[in-house]
Amino acid sequence: MSIQVENNLKDTENKEIFEQRAHFIPCKVDEDGPANVRRFFEPYICEDENGELSATFRGHLLNGTRMQLPDGYRAIVVTEAKRPLAENADRRFQVAGGFKQVMYWNWDKKPSKNDNLVKALDWVDIAEAVHGD
Amino acid sequence: MNSLQALQEYIKTKDNFRNFINGSEVPTVCKSEPCMLGVDEAGRGPVLGPMVYGVAYCPINTKKILENLGCADSKALTEEKRDDILTQIFTDDAALNNVGWASEIISPNYISNSMYRRAKHSLNEVSMNSAIDLIKKVHSSGVNITEVYVDTVGPPEKYQAKLSEIFPEFKITVAKKADSIYPIVSAASIVAKVTRDHALKVWKFHEDLEMDHTQFGSGYPGDPLTKKFIREQIDKVFGYPLLVRFSWSTADHMLQEKAATCTFEEVDEENPKKKASAGTKSISSFFSPKLESNGKIRKRHKFFEERCLIVGNNAFD
Repeated sequence: MSIQVENNLKDTENKEIFEQRAHFIPCKVDEDGPANVRRFFEPYICEDENGELSATFRGHLLNGTRMQLPDGYRAIVVTEAKRPLAENADRRFQVAGGFKQVMYWNWDKKPSKNDNLVKALDWVDIAEAVHGD
Repeated sequence: MNSLQALQEYIKTKDNFRNFINGSEVPTVCKSEPCMLGVDEAGRGPVLGPMVYGVAYCPINTKKILENLGCADSKALTEEKRDDILTQIFTDDAALNNVGWASEIISPNYISNSMYRRAKHSLNEVSMNSAIDLIKKVHSSGVNITEVYVDTVGPPEKYQAKLSEIFPEFKITVAKKADSIYPIVSAASIVAKVTRDHALKVWKFHEDLEMDHTQFGSGYPGDPLTKKFIREQIDKVFGYPLLVRFSWSTADHMLQEKAATCTFEEVDEENPKKKASAGTKSISSFFSPKLESNGKIRKRHKFFEERCLIVGNNAFD
């Protein structure tokens, strides 16, 4: 199986499309598709005097932080027009946008170095050491 | 605060997804004369809107003023009558010189968040903390409190013991229906009830929803308008606007039925089942393929395991 990613937005004038706002929430939501983030979530994001963020999702208190992506990395959002039925078939994705930072949210727990996503990004440095020149 | 209009305007200046406190000036006489203080709450049961805690206080020897104001069993009073009594408390000379009050507006979002914490806070804890904070606040503003009367829905004994421990210098009485027995509790109850009613009247949705209390109703789960709101104002992902107490079974059940399923991390409550099974192999493990010591199945290094990293040849699954 191979994966192809097409970027039809390479020459876009609209730079904002790669600077979208992304939220990482500590909850598995069984739903794919658009979400009314601007209406239901963002009005409640607060920053206190220490720069700590809070918000709420489905009645749950969230504690958050702004997480930058590692230097030299960027995040893209891809879509797939049609997912092939066969397991091993080739997959084609289109770039739909991207973001440069993530608001990372924990449920009722301040974000820390021990959070899985933060730890996962350690790999970026290790990979650089292992595979870099 | 000199009118219900002013009360509404004050509420409008506050974020309705957070708690805030409102209160009168302390009448000078309350700083010298021994005072009684009443505590009551409004809006404990509704699935919509804030819960409000109210306190009222006055010198013990001016009880007559409360009776003249009409502070009696607040549940037996009409909404107009309650509005009217609070207006008098705001403006009448005898009231201004003798009766002080304070309230805490506890937002529906705070209620949901408290009940859905990792370590759950019950509504009783939220309530008790609000009452305790209001008494402390009034006390520290210089009021010479000697007697405290509290209305409760739960068993009075435990509550009374707890308050007596925190405030050993006050004579504390916790009673069911204190509202109808002690005029100072009726006054507190009127402060709380009228504040809650007006908080709902000026409720502004942050979710771009142009609706008001004439459409979402009283907030009680039995109110047909409230029922309709709970049934219809559902967002598949986010559930409800923050007017709703997500932790109420009425709201929770409706979301389970109509919105996308959301699963939060499970909280490790001391689960003896887990610990007991730790030493015992599950029966199915005897049927799974054995790993050879030189086996082909390579175990991932701990580094990757701890970071929830997997090899990405099945990316985008």
